[in-house]
Amino acid sequence: MSAPKTIPKDAQVMMQILKDMGITEYEPRVINQMLEFTYRYVTTIIEDAKIYSTHAKKSTVDADDIKLAIQCRMDQSFTSPPPRDFLLEVARQKNQTPLPLIKPYTGPRLPPDRYCLTAPNYRLKSVQKKVTASAGRISVPRLSVGAVSSRPATPTIGSSSVPSVTAKVSTPVSLSAQRFTVQIPTAAQSHVPKTTATPPVLMSSSLIGPKTLLMSSSSLSQSDSLKRKHEDDEDYDAL
Amino acid sequence: MAAVQGGLVDTDEEKDIKTDPSSDACGNNNNAIDAKPVSTSPGTNAPSGNTKTPVATTEEQQTLLAVLQFLRKNNLSESVDILRREAGLPEDLLDLKGSDGSGSGPGGAGGGVGQEGGDSSSLLSRVAVSVSAAQAPTKVTSNDQPDVSVVLSAYNQQGDPALYDVYYSDLKKFIETVLDCHRAELSQVFYPLFVHMYLELVYNNHENQAKAFFGRFSGDQECYYEDDLRVLSSMTKKEHMRGNETLLDFRTSKFVLRISRDSYQLLKRHLQERQNNQIWNIIQEHLYIDIFDGMPRSKSQIDAMSGSLAGEAKRDANKSKVYYGLLKEPEIELPLDDEDEEAENEEGKPKKKKPKKDSLGSKSKKQDPNAPLQTRIPLPELKDSDKLDKIMYMKEATKKIRLGPETLPSICFYSFLNAYQGLTAVDFTDDSSLIAGGFADSTVRVWSVTPKRLRKVKSAADLNLIDKESDDVLERIMDEKTSSESKNLYGHSGPVYGISFSPDRNYLLSSSEDGTVRLWSLLTFTCLVGYKGHNYPVWDTQFSPHGYYFISGGHDRVARLWATDHYQPLRIFAGHLADVTCTRFHPNSNYVATGSSDRTIRLWDVLTGNCVRIFTGHKGPIHALAFSPNGKFLASGATDGRVLLWDIGHGIMIGELKGHTDTIYSLRFSRDGEILASGSMDYTVRLWDSMKAFDDLETDDFTATTGHIHLQDNSQELLLGMYTTKSSPVVHLHFTRRNLLLAAGSYNP
Repeated sequence: MSAPKTIPKDAQVMMQILKDMGITEYEPRVINQMLEFTYRYVTTIIEDAKIYSTHAKKSTVDADDIKLAIQCRMDQSFTSPPPRDFLLEVARQKNQTPLPLIKPYTGPRLPPDRYCLTAPNYRLKSVQKKVTASAGRISVPRLSVGAVSSRPATPTIGSSSVPSVTAKVSTPVSLSAQRFTVQIPTAAQSHVPKTTATPPVLMSSSLIGPKTLLMSSSSLSQSDSLKRKHEDDEDYDAL
Repeated sequence: MAAVQGGLVDTDEEKDIKTDPSSDACGNNNNAIDAKPVSTSPGTNAPSGNTKTPVATTEEQQTLLAVLQFLRKNNLSESVDILRREAGLPEDLLDLKGSDGSGSGPGGAGGGVGQEGGDSSSLLSRVAVSVSAAQAPTKVTSNDQPDVSVVLSAYNQQGDPALYDVYYSDLKKFIETVLDCHRAELSQVFYPLFVHMYLELVYNNHENQAKAFFGRFSGDQECYYEDDLRVLSSMTKKEHMRGNETLLDFRTSKFVLRISRDSYQLLKRHLQERQNNQIWNIIQEHLYIDIFDGMPRSKSQIDAMSGSLAGEAKRDANKSKVYYGLLKEPEIELPLDDEDEEAENEEGKPKKKKPKKDSLGSKSKKQDPNAPLQTRIPLPELKDSDKLDKIMYMKEATKKIRLGPETLPSICFYSFLNAYQGLTAVDFTDDSSLIAGGFADSTVRVWSVTPKRLRKVKSAADLNLIDKESDDVLERIMDEKTSSESKNLYGHSGPVYGISFSPDRNYLLSSSEDGTVRLWSLLTFTCLVGYKGHNYPVWDTQFSPHGYYFISGGHDRVARLWATDHYQPLRIFAGHLADVTCTRFHPNSNYVATGSSDRTIRLWDVLTGNCVRIFTGHKGPIHALAFSPNGKFLASGATDGRVLLWDIGHGIMIGELKGHTDTIYSLRFSRDGEILASGSMDYTVRLWDSMKAFDDLETDDFTATTGHIHLQDNSQELLLGMYTTKSSPVVHLHFTRRNLLLAAGSYNP
């Protein structure tokens, strides 16, 4: 290492500030971070103040402009928690309502799906349209296994993984991506573990039949997006 | 709650005063009243139901009367008549109740008319409040009329800034000359007085005087107020105070002092003798003096209890009934096969359908008077899996080692390597099978402690393939292919400061600097819900011992009670003056303890949301709380390195454990409450004999009512062992069901 390098004046000032505030132990990076923050903050304020002073048609930036700039920035970026009396009032109102009774065993106790993060956050792109011969769309609420409880509002049949290999089925299989499964009340009625939220759905018998065959093979061709046939694009509008 | 009322009353009355048509003889103008907070909100909802309107009228009358008196004194009889006629004051009102104004005495006569408009009325009413509240209806014998000098002094509220020095040093001199026994108590007045005088100077834009005042007297204050003073020293302008909610709260809420009657009389007499004394005004305006009859307290007693941001707790704050007992354990029938399978057969184990006695539950069938009713708050009922868990628990409990001063637990330390000081939260499941770590890079990581690997539930497609009728379906739904020792959970956008497992091991909560609390499923290792409510960093969170409820506390100075199936909090516990840094449930889930940066611990009732206990005594922000397993006691640790023990039922401090040299971040009682383990930043785990600490408790009537316990300095005897780690601060402690102590921390070479 060379001779002790001189610390720039700014950094010395920052070290002094830290010392005055009683902070004695800190990593050396802290000074750099504080200086960067200071620079950015001060330039932001001064820029804002310039805008205000030009708006007020003043030739120079004066203290009032700076004060206004600081105030506006404070309200925007450096908000502080609500004042105590406000909190007390809110608390008083909230605490007046009695604790809600707990419904007996209802599965995982989660807020309505709208407030959960369990919905899929992606949508599959439709590749081809396929004419459906089914008598209208049959709404199938999606069942979930595990944590994913499906979209609540408009259950649809999204057929993202209809294999073209096996029988050309005009009616879609209502199996889509990884997350969804439809419980078809075949002979082997599934006993899904306790994490299932919704009951199984009865599909019309016209759709049952070849489905059982398709289900197993469809899971193999999940990733085969090219072969996906989609019933309707409208389904996805409802998503 | 009472302290709260004080603050609100101030804002209310000040609003009234603003509209109060004060007389013009004094030529005041309603300037910003110093005590008025910058961010005003319509403080119309004083929860105390204070009589606002009658007070206002009385205030108006008193101001007028005071003016009348002034005029009369100066022999301006004509003006007196005119004023009386115009104001419509009947003759006899002149002998007004002396009880209101008299207590204030000649606070400060004459002098110029100050700018603090309307403070007179507020002053008088506050005198009424404080005097009546203090239950010392002492009247200054001579005056039976509102003393005009009092009123005028209020207009002179800020007085001459240059004289603040003089007033303060006068008071100092006086207190130094007082008898020893009173001196300790009266010295309590110094700190709040100093701060308020300084803030007044700053608020009224006397920057230089403020700095001079600070420089001169800040060194005299108690050492434990050092941090606060440092913050104050950086505030030299009025604008600096804006945005610092803690300081604003400090200005509006009353600093509570407990002084014995004799000392109080001394002080009052001295201050009333003086003319032009602002100190008395400030005392009345900003201090709440809780007077008690009895011996003055010694310095050590006072030191033990003081240190919080708002002084001590009023006596009546700790008087409400708290149900600290435990809930009755539900009776669980032992299934037949379990009995047969067990290798060891405990003596006296009941056969078949008998309730199993567990180590915590009481054998009596009748309700423990100190325990809450089972139905006091709705609790989720036990599912089959919960019942199985309980059975496992009882089985393990039988193998528990009984700890004591002779049998210390073994300690197993889990070091988080390569965390680079990023480990911010740790939790263990109750059966010690999983560890979760929250990190500063916003990830949460779950490890399996046992050789059993972590598995998640299979994907939906795979689940269709399994045989759903088989007996081991619960095993088959698990995905072996992706099983691993640890799983990462991503989702937060800020360091994770709090972590908590649910008692049934299905969920994990994490709270973060991004203001949300996230619920993760431990079956699928994905995030289920993000609870948004705090908009500021959430410092701590914990599941209730019965599941379903959880609490969180954060920078917005409140703690919130949530249920997993409500997206909004059920209860908001507001009252702290600074951030809530630590939140813990009581074993019976009916109460919540919160520790805060304002150096107090509050106990809240879940049912009503009220604060039922306030514990002061720590000298630094509180970072660790632990309830004893029997629910009677609370242990707390803070940055001052002390562990304090509190009796919840009586609401008093019963012990102090000194020894740690740095912040205590973790506290845990052993399974039967015989040993208290504390882990700290000074790289040590210390074991304390809690049985002995609680046994030595004497609660005679005097201590119960006044809360003045004489703490024994027996920390050394209570220390059973000190174990040093190799530069790993101890962040978390956990006693397994068999009383093995597990500790966790990151290795910081």
